Order: sequence, then structure tokens, then C-alpha cells
Amino acid sequence: MGFFEWLDDSPLSHYVAETLWVYPTLETTHTIGMALLIGSLGLIDLRVLGFKPELPLLETQRLLPLAWLGFTLNAFSGTLLFVSDAVKFSHSYTFGIKIALIILGGINAALLGRSVFRTSAGAASLEPTTGARWIAGTSLVFWFGAIICGRLVAYTP
Amino acid sequence: MMDLFVWLEHTSIANAIRDIRWMYAALETSHYIGLSLLVGGIMLIDLRVLGFARTLPLKSMIGLLPFVWVGFIINALTGGALFIYGATGFGVNHAFWLKMTFMVFAGLNALAFDLSVRRSKVDWVAADLPPAHVKTFATLSFVLWLCVVTTGRWMAYI
Repeated sequence: MGFFEWLDDSPLSHYVAETLWVYPTLETTHTIGMALLIGSLGLIDLRVLGFKPELPLLETQRLLPLAWLGFTLNAFSGTLLFVSDAVKFSHSYTFGIKIALIILGGINAALLGRSVFRTSAGAASLEPTTGARWIAGTSLVFWFGAIICGRLVAYTP
Repeated sequence: MMDLFVWLEHTSIANAIRDIRWMYAALETSHYIGLSLLVGGIMLIDLRVLGFARTLPLKSMIGLLPFVWVGFIINALTGGALFIYGATGFGVNHAFWLKMTFMVFAGLNALAFDLSVRRSKVDWVAADLPPAHVKTFATLSFVLWLCVVTTGRWMAYI
């Protein structure tokens, strides 16, 4: 028996899949976490790209705790949803792409933190470099791509 | 009412969604992207009004409303199409009507918020001093939109 089969047969997996209110509650949490994460990180990305220049660039990092809250909610709810049907998800290409995009989005966010919030500390008026703009642009692609793949898991092999 | 739902399900829009492969999935996916813009944007504005991230100017954060509107329009269109496709199912779904009720209240609340910004004699936006009733609108907005998302998600299970 493989790892995912074992996971599928675990009491936790049965609990999530078979308790009436647990699965929809986790899905709801996952949707709210998504709105928090994409809303806050998306706004930072757009600001780096030059939208809303009246928002002080360095201060947009105040939104990072919200992005982290959204990410934590979704890592937690997403893991439990995965455990409830581990074999199916582990065989889904679309799900694999979604996870890859989330990893890329995470690396991307770390890079953005280094290139925007750390190097420009002390130089509040400094506008983002071309490199930082590229990171912000690809970040939007990765996260919206993750939403799209997440939704399409239900429709694709 | 049921006649209307049956008729809706046989309109050319409903048939197109049924016949075009990926159409339903594309509509649902767009509904999630619109949701991120709409609810993500609204939560940021509400939290800012309530005092979160004070170093970001209140005026520019309220200025995020166009993003919220884009999300709302995407979701009104995609949601409308999804409803037409499955009208007889949605029409008798309690979670769906609860969601619509929450949306009406959220809309009225947003209108009240908007009027408080436009009609106020004191420029509380520039002064960053939202009055107590505006903070109540922001709290209500946050809660009502969470309820919209929650009831929307539960539609598949009720």
C-alpha cells in the first residue's frame, strides 16, 4: 500500500470526507483564505507594477500579515481537503500544476520581499526596479494560475 | 416561478453553456477570479477603515473600489450565466436564496458607506477619522461578504 492509499484510509481522511459539515466548511475556509491572500499580495504586486502610485511602496508590506493569514488558512484547509481524497489528488495533473504554481508564487514572494522591501529600506522614495516589476508581474500570473488550476481539478484528469 | 426557471434553462445562453465544452468550468473559474477581486478588495478597504495598516492612506485604499467593481461585474455576469444554466436547481436551493439575501444587504450597506463618503460635511477620509457609524458599515460589510462566500460555497451541499 502506497503513502497516498494509506493517507486515504486514515481516520482523518474518513472524518473529513464523511462528516456532513467538515468538507464544505474547509472549502469555505479555502475560498476566504484565497480572497485574503490574492487580495493583499495582488495589491502589493500591482503597486510594484506602478498602479496606485499614491500608496507608499514600503508601507504596502503592512499587508503581508494578511497575505500570510490567507496562506496559512489555505495551507491548513488545503492539506485536510487533500487528505480526504489523497489518491485522486495525487494522480491529478492539474493539481500538480497548481502546487508547482504555489511553490513558484512562494519563491517569488520571497524574492519580492528582498528586492523591494529590504533593498529600498531607508530610501523611501525609491521606485521598484525593472527586475522587481518582473517579479510582481509573474507573481500575479502564478497566483491567478493557481486559482484557475484549483478550480479545474474538478474537471480534468 | 418554476415555469420561469424551466424557460431560463432552455434559452440559447443555457444551451450554449451546455453545448460548449469547458464553458461551465470557464464560468466557474472566472467566478472565483471575480470573487478574489471583489472580496479581496472589499476586505482590504473594510480593514483599513477599521484601523488596519494605518500607514497606507485611507483615501487611496478607498480608491481601490474600481477593482471591487470589476470583480462585482465579472461575478454578476458569470453568476447570471451559471444561474440561467441551472435555474431549476438554484431556484429551489435555500443556500442560493440566502446568498442573494446577504448580497442585497451587502449592497445596501455599500450604498450607505458610499453616501457617508460623499455626503459627509467633515472630510473624515482625508483626516483619517472614520466616524463610528462608518466603522459599523465596514464591520457589517466584512461579515456580510463572508456570509455571501459561505452560503455560495454551501449551495453544492444543501
